[in-house]
Amino acid sequence: MSIQEKVTINKLSTGVPGLDEIVGGGLPEFSFNIIAGAPGSGKTTLAHQFVFANATPERPALYFTVLGESAIKMLRYQQQYTFFDPAKLPGSIRFINLSQVVLEKDLGAVLEQITREVEKSNPAVVVVDSFRTMVRKPQSDMDLQSFIQRLALFLASWQATTFLIGEYAEDELRDNPIFTVADGLFWLRQTTERNSIVRKLQIVKLRGQDSVPGLHTFRITDAGVQAFSRTFGLTARKRNPPSDRRLCFGIPELDKMLDGGVREGDSVLVAGSSGTGKSVLATQFIAEGVRHGEPGIVAVFEERPEAYAERATSLGLDLETPQKDGKLTILYLRPLDLSVDETMHSILDAVQKIGAKRLVIDSLAGFEMALSPGFRADFRESLYRMIFALTGIGVTILSTVEVDESFTEFPFSTYSISFLTDDIIRLRYVSIDGQLRKIMVVIKMRGGNHAKDIREYEITSKGVVILGKRLTDYQGLISGVPVHSDPSDPEEES
Amino acid sequence: MNDAGLDMTTSSKTRDLARRLLAYEAVAGKTSGLEEAATLRVYEKLRQSLGEFVGIAGFQSLAFRALTQAKSEAPGLWAVRLATDGSLQGLGEFQPQPEEFEPQLGSGKDQTSEGGAALIARLLGLLLIFLGEALTLSLLRNAWPDEVFDDRNSTHGRNA
Repeated sequence: MSIQEKVTINKLSTGVPGLDEIVGGGLPEFSFNIIAGAPGSGKTTLAHQFVFANATPERPALYFTVLGESAIKMLRYQQQYTFFDPAKLPGSIRFINLSQVVLEKDLGAVLEQITREVEKSNPAVVVVDSFRTMVRKPQSDMDLQSFIQRLALFLASWQATTFLIGEYAEDELRDNPIFTVADGLFWLRQTTERNSIVRKLQIVKLRGQDSVPGLHTFRITDAGVQAFSRTFGLTARKRNPPSDRRLCFGIPELDKMLDGGVREGDSVLVAGSSGTGKSVLATQFIAEGVRHGEPGIVAVFEERPEAYAERATSLGLDLETPQKDGKLTILYLRPLDLSVDETMHSILDAVQKIGAKRLVIDSLAGFEMALSPGFRADFRESLYRMIFALTGIGVTILSTVEVDESFTEFPFSTYSISFLTDDIIRLRYVSIDGQLRKIMVVIKMRGGNHAKDIREYEITSKGVVILGKRLTDYQGLISGVPVHSDPSDPEEES
Repeated sequence: MNDAGLDMTTSSKTRDLARRLLAYEAVAGKTSGLEEAATLRVYEKLRQSLGEFVGIAGFQSLAFRALTQAKSEAPGLWAVRLATDGSLQGLGEFQPQPEEFEPQLGSGKDQTSEGGAALIARLLGLLLIFLGEALTLSLLRNAWPDEVFDDRNSTHGRNA
């Protein structure tokens, strides 16, 4: 059979932001799916989003409610979500309560009523909420299996895409026949870690197409469920070939040290202790990009965007105008209980919105602190995925990281993330001639011939300014307590 | 269609809508003069329409609450009761009023008419509380034609 003769499976929008990408572009039409999870995990909301996204007067949705949450209260609560359109009821979406037949009759009668309603409405979507309560009464395994089989066959024949919602435990996966029959299995998890709620979604099974494996963070807001793919939606995009183009800081001496600037698409780490000018350097980097027509994003965690822009103004850098012109976005990301994937999605959305070429993350420590404690364990892994995805499409990332000043070692980062970075610029204090001065050194530059010089710099009203030539009169500069090479030097003696 | 007449945010407007539904059913069912028949028709439509999605027990609960509220303002409903399937029984039957109720002015017909309007208005009021105006009207529109909700047929609309 040639490729052209294969049946085409239409993909339906899930109506859940981020979920289409996770399920491989949309939910397979006519599939028979289970949404499983504990109470309060968002199962009903997810199903409602799908229903509201796909129901039409011609091909409506039938939403069967059984025992459990009262239908009137369910509608009362669900209509608080922005996706809920009352005008779709009951023309496009019909809610039908099956409690009576479930309580008084057997599964055969339940199937009969579902059949009757489906034949009457010819629905595109059928939801049973909760399927678990429908089959709670003691049944023989054969009865249950037969009921599920007949229901699945019937609904598929009527070209309906189906969701059965149930409060299942994970240890039921092996024995419950429902999971064998289902084409798709969506598992919603909700756990408490320290004081935070962590919600994760897994596509345990999806017949007919590839879904993104693993656990994906999701959040329930007034817009309903929003899912955040582990791959940030960028895996399908082709990686740009490595670029030889150099991006300047606008600090001539530093750009020379970097052999003309950092390579486009690099991940740059600026490490140093408090007050060494990491943010100043980052601001100059982003401002220089804007000056060259390269839109930029600054993700800040430790100060407000207004304060960030004001500080730039004090350095003679205008960040206000490019913000108004849509060339620069300063993102302030510090809500409580933030998941790492949500944060990264905010950054990615901003990058894609303005076509950013430069991204500053100021700082990694602030980023980590902004996360819900439960997500901090994933920080490095998620950071790796984001940097890989963004640099792959040509965005140059500069991250700042605070390191503890030590006089016995020369650390680059407390995060062990130097493997994530192509270039590392290290800033540090040194004690010279009775003064606490600052030095800068390019530690690493992937694929570039960077200077090995250790240079002294100052932070002035024009930003970072590199002073004079490399420091040749001192030894042990990177220890922070150098000694003068010539002990007879009068300055050293004084 | 003018939605101004659909504002159900006050009880008087809910009552007005109830009257419009009753008037429509009185004409549609050719039951002019038989107020209880119009009330039953409106009630049955609501029972069918709401019962489908809230279930028999769900509707019965709402109707019981509405009837209790309506009885306090329309003692003519004293004899009315609900069957287990949520249907109304005893509407329009003459029943001696218990002593605790004050004697009512007006004819039995007036009392029946007011009782029907009170019951339907209370039921609509509960829907309004639980489902909100938009969803309630969406459900009502499925059971009655648009002309019932036309502002020009509203007591308030005419008075405006």
